[in-house]
Amino acid sequence: MTAEAHRRRAFWQLLLIAAGLLVLTVISAGSVYLVNKARDDSKWVIHTIEAENQINALLLEIRRAESSARGFLLTQGPDFQSDHEKAVASIIPALDKLTRQIGDNPAQRESIEKLSAAIKLRLDQFSREMNFVKQGQPDNAVAFIREAAAGNTTTTIGNLTNAMIREEERLFRIRTANSDRSQTLAASMTGIGSGLVVLLALISTWLVRRSARARDEAEARLRDANSNLEAVVHERTADLREANDEIQRFAYIVSHDLRSPLVNIMGFTSELEELGGDIFRRVSSLTHVPADGPPPADGQIALEGPDQQLAADFSEALGFIKSSIAKMDRLISAILNLTREGRREFQPEKVDTRGLIEAIASTLAHQASEAQAEIHIDPLPNLVSDRLALEQIFSNLIDNAIKYLKNGVPGEIRIRGRTKLGYAIFEISDNGRGIDPKDHQRIFDLFRRAGTQDKQGQGIGLAHVRALVRRLGGTMSLSSELNAGSTFTITLPITWNASNRNADK
Amino acid sequence: MTLPVTIIMIEDDEGHARLIERNIRRSGVNNEIVSFANGTDAMRHLFGADGSGLVQKGNALLILLDLNLPDMTGIDILKQIKENKYLKASPVVVLTTTDDSQEIKRCYELGCNVYITKPVNYENFANAIRQLGLFFSVIQVPPAAS
Repeated sequence: MTAEAHRRRAFWQLLLIAAGLLVLTVISAGSVYLVNKARDDSKWVIHTIEAENQINALLLEIRRAESSARGFLLTQGPDFQSDHEKAVASIIPALDKLTRQIGDNPAQRESIEKLSAAIKLRLDQFSREMNFVKQGQPDNAVAFIREAAAGNTTTTIGNLTNAMIREEERLFRIRTANSDRSQTLAASMTGIGSGLVVLLALISTWLVRRSARARDEAEARLRDANSNLEAVVHERTADLREANDEIQRFAYIVSHDLRSPLVNIMGFTSELEELGGDIFRRVSSLTHVPADGPPPADGQIALEGPDQQLAADFSEALGFIKSSIAKMDRLISAILNLTREGRREFQPEKVDTRGLIEAIASTLAHQASEAQAEIHIDPLPNLVSDRLALEQIFSNLIDNAIKYLKNGVPGEIRIRGRTKLGYAIFEISDNGRGIDPKDHQRIFDLFRRAGTQDKQGQGIGLAHVRALVRRLGGTMSLSSELNAGSTFTITLPITWNASNRNADK
Repeated sequence: MTLPVTIIMIEDDEGHARLIERNIRRSGVNNEIVSFANGTDAMRHLFGADGSGLVQKGNALLILLDLNLPDMTGIDILKQIKENKYLKASPVVVLTTTDDSQEIKRCYELGCNVYITKPVNYENFANAIRQLGLFFSVIQVPPAAS
């Protein structure tokens, strides 16, 4: 999975969680709001019912007052009178209560103003009626009632209250519907919200599972890739090792098989030389039969003129052949030794580097004193490495330093050492004849040399040294100018372990 | 020498064979030299057609062996000679170009009596063979009978 896709997935999951939270918040807020609204609506419904009740209660009190007034008129009984007074006393508070209750509705307020005016009128009529009866003039009272009935106050009250009740009923219907709607809304909101949350949770779970599956797959792929990579590395290493072994074997066999004919060439050249000697001896004895005296002693050949020339040419030719064979033999031996070194397994051990180099210096002391050279050895870091390889590296380099000093200049050879990041760095510097920068690569090649060819050598030392340094897991470099000395720098791991280079044994 | 010792030379390089023979003769050894240019012929001669080595019973042999042969390695031949009850008493001189110390060690472990490296320097080579000739002239070779 790419990083881009991964980021996208994480973003979607975050978004999902945010959406879930949002939905939850909205549902909670909506539910609270709707429940509150439903409660309000219910309150209004109750209020309407109460208002209606109050209207009925008021109407009832008025009727009670009316009927008790009639009773009093007919019987003049004090019971009716007290009943009437009680009813009249409760009319005004009931009216006030009703006024308070329906004060919020302008239409009802208008009605109630008319109603209270009518009630007041009616109450006034009641008190006058009662007064007539109390003063003992029931006739007047009856006349007044008749008169009052013509005024139709009771009907007005009835009509008004009926209108008010109708209004309240209308309000009741509206408010009940409102309340129902609120409750339905709250319920459906909760339902839908819960559904949404469940849906989101499901999507989230699905996403998480998908991502987990993707991760598992990626892990499996990674594992596969890793093991595959290991196998590939193994394979390549094995290939390289095989190729290296092949080269080693090849060099070994070739140098070996080259030597076999060389034995013949050398052998029969020597035989030829002997034969040549015999031939020329015979020529000499045939051409120089001394008249007097004994024949020339054995091994002595006395030739003259062209015969002598022939003999000289013959031995010159043989001399070239023999020196070439000798050289070829040295080269083959060198290759053999190199391949043998290449096949040798390193034995890492703790090496006192300074002691090792001092020992080398003492074995080279004779050459050094002949060349008027002094070898200075600074304190050096110790190594865990192959002693023989180190010996060969340093003795080759110090030997070279002594060998290629400037004629007539006292030599000064210095070996320095330091450590850096698990590596030991050695510098072998001299004040010798130096190496032209264009030859810096060439001198490390097998059988190649540089500079004035006035010293014996096969051109093997540095090639060998570099091969050894590489096998020890190190590197080697050179800084030098012609006539300005040379410094060979060798970097070797402080601890050589078989794993870092034993692949190319 | 009490018994006529036969020198068996197993050497694939004719030149080498000739040089060796010449130098042996020069050192005054006149024993019969039977040479073979490959391992198969040499093995047939030494072990016979049945491979038992019975054919050489009672013969005194001295074997000169080169390690690099075209058809088999001298090491194998050396091993079989030293494992055969009729032949194991015969001295074996390994004469080869290989100067690998491991190889030399191996040959001695397998029972080779002398190991000589063919030097390219002819003087040394001739000298070594002549020394070998002198060695042949004093060596007591037991007959391959038991």
